Amino acid sequence: MNRRRRIIATIMLSTGLLALGAHARIAIQNKGSDTLVNVAQAWAEAYAKKAPEVAIAVSGGGSGTGIAAMINGTVDIANSSRRMKQSEIDLAKEHGQDPVEHIVGYDALAVFLHPDNPVSTLSIEQLSSIYARGQEFDNWSDLGVKVPGCKDNTIIVVSRQNNSGTYAYFQEAVLGKGGKYRQGTLDMHGSKDVVDLVEKTPCAIGYSGLAYATDHVKMACISSQVGKPCVSPTVATASDRTYPIARPLFMYTNGAPKGDVKSYLDWILTDEGQCIIANKGYAPAHDVTCE
Amino acid sequence: MFEATALNARNARIQTLFRLLFGLMTGLLILPVIIILFTLIQEGGAVISYDFLFTSPTDGMTAGGIFPALIGTIWLVAVALIISVPLGVAAAIYLSEYAPENWLTRAINLAIINLAGVPSIVHALFGVGAFVLFFNFGTSILAASLTLAVMALPVVIVATRESLQAVPLAFREACWNMGATRWQTIRRVVLPNAVSGILTGVILEVSRTTGETAPIMFTGAVFFTPFLPQSVFDQTMAMSLHLFVVSTQVPGVPEQLPYGVALVLIAMVLTMNSLSIAFRMYLRSRKKW
Repeated sequence: MNRRRRIIATIMLSTGLLALGAHARIAIQNKGSDTLVNVAQAWAEAYAKKAPEVAIAVSGGGSGTGIAAMINGTVDIANSSRRMKQSEIDLAKEHGQDPVEHIVGYDALAVFLHPDNPVSTLSIEQLSSIYARGQEFDNWSDLGVKVPGCKDNTIIVVSRQNNSGTYAYFQEAVLGKGGKYRQGTLDMHGSKDVVDLVEKTPCAIGYSGLAYATDHVKMACISSQVGKPCVSPTVATASDRTYPIARPLFMYTNGAPKGDVKSYLDWILTDEGQCIIANKGYAPAHDVTCE
Repeated sequence: MFEATALNARNARIQTLFRLLFGLMTGLLILPVIIILFTLIQEGGAVISYDFLFTSPTDGMTAGGIFPALIGTIWLVAVALIISVPLGVAAAIYLSEYAPENWLTRAINLAIINLAGVPSIVHALFGVGAFVLFFNFGTSILAASLTLAVMALPVVIVATRESLQAVPLAFREACWNMGATRWQTIRRVVLPNAVSGILTGVILEVSRTTGETAPIMFTGAVFFTPFLPQSVFDQTMAMSLHLFVVSTQVPGVPEQLPYGVALVLIAMVLTMNSLSIAFRMYLRSRKKW
């Protein structure tokens, strides 16, 4: 009996000690946008070497997930690839949170095509004709081309799930305010999935952050109107805002950042932090020279 | 002696045919397991090394190891076990040994069966609402393990109850007739004879909780953190979520890496299972009836 009691006591004591250890380290919780998640991961990885006492935990799930967590007060920093809506800010305030916006970089939304697709330039109007509800184009012949390997030449329209910031930004930038996506799009649960699908599907068209581009897909050169010169998505064209579908990337904090959260955000905006985002294929928030 | 008639011969042929047919079906059953294991070992075997198991991911998770995820999964499963095994076993003992046969007991049994059928994503959302927000544990190992424990409880309860009921009533009666109380009977006679069955339930729970992704991804597991958890209030990486992340979320991951992660995950479950099965066989060999 005695031995058993000792075992139980040991277990209880060690659980207690573990609970006490909880405050020995500073934890920053960082959650949200799938577009930003890989950059956030790279920042967390690099920052661990700078400030070993700060543990940054990164999760994805989409901008909507991050914003919801900010509203519920379960994160320190919410990542978002779109600006918070007024209704969301109001809701957060009702919950006693005060979201403060920080722009940490810019992202060019590339339009991906299969490499066999003869189309290489698209205007915003043409994109809208493909993506908008009541769309005019549902066949590649509407753009005057025949896509090799695409059986009946029908356009397969690839989009994102609706809590994605990429989905929301593309809607705003291409379909215009209040514009709705057409029915029957293939909604993928991740930027990488969009690129993977387009890579394997000659009929497909999709959009994702430039950082997800691979050598196996083609990126369309985008013009604001038919006939106007087009701009290819690159870090440079996103930085100088000449690429028409580039958007800011946000981190939200609850109130003005303080203490370790402030040090972390400040570090993200240093040249060192900004070179990390630039190396991931996004445009930095300010001009930096990286090797 | 008998002379084999045409009918005998025909029956024998049919018998052979069905035996072959059923044997073939059984063969088909293990085929997926073999294919999965073979593919994983072939594709992922080369990735496995000491460094892969015992270092953190580096270079934006495209290189380095899986150590934080490995430790995280062990934490999650261990805490879930600490919570659910005592609870589940106690509930099963009550249901099997004490509960009167009435509508309430039947309702409780029905509820347990239904709980086992709840999809894991529903458990996940329940976990967010109850443990993360209402009890304010935040996204943490504690919240994730509690969610896993709720999900695994029916498995433990049902397995324990079955094994308790497999202990012959005569054993209990003999004990009662010696003047022992119900608790003494349970403690000295029923539980020692049922322990192998209870262990099966625990094995099943370990296997299931190790592989679950949905219940932990909102409640405590994260995409990336460079640190090992120090307490149940920390967040952690986990093997199952890490597998999801490296296969679908991160660009530029070498093709072999997800296979390596999957192989380690499967190996963890299989090792756990074989250890427990061996232990169970040892206990069963000591069974007294």
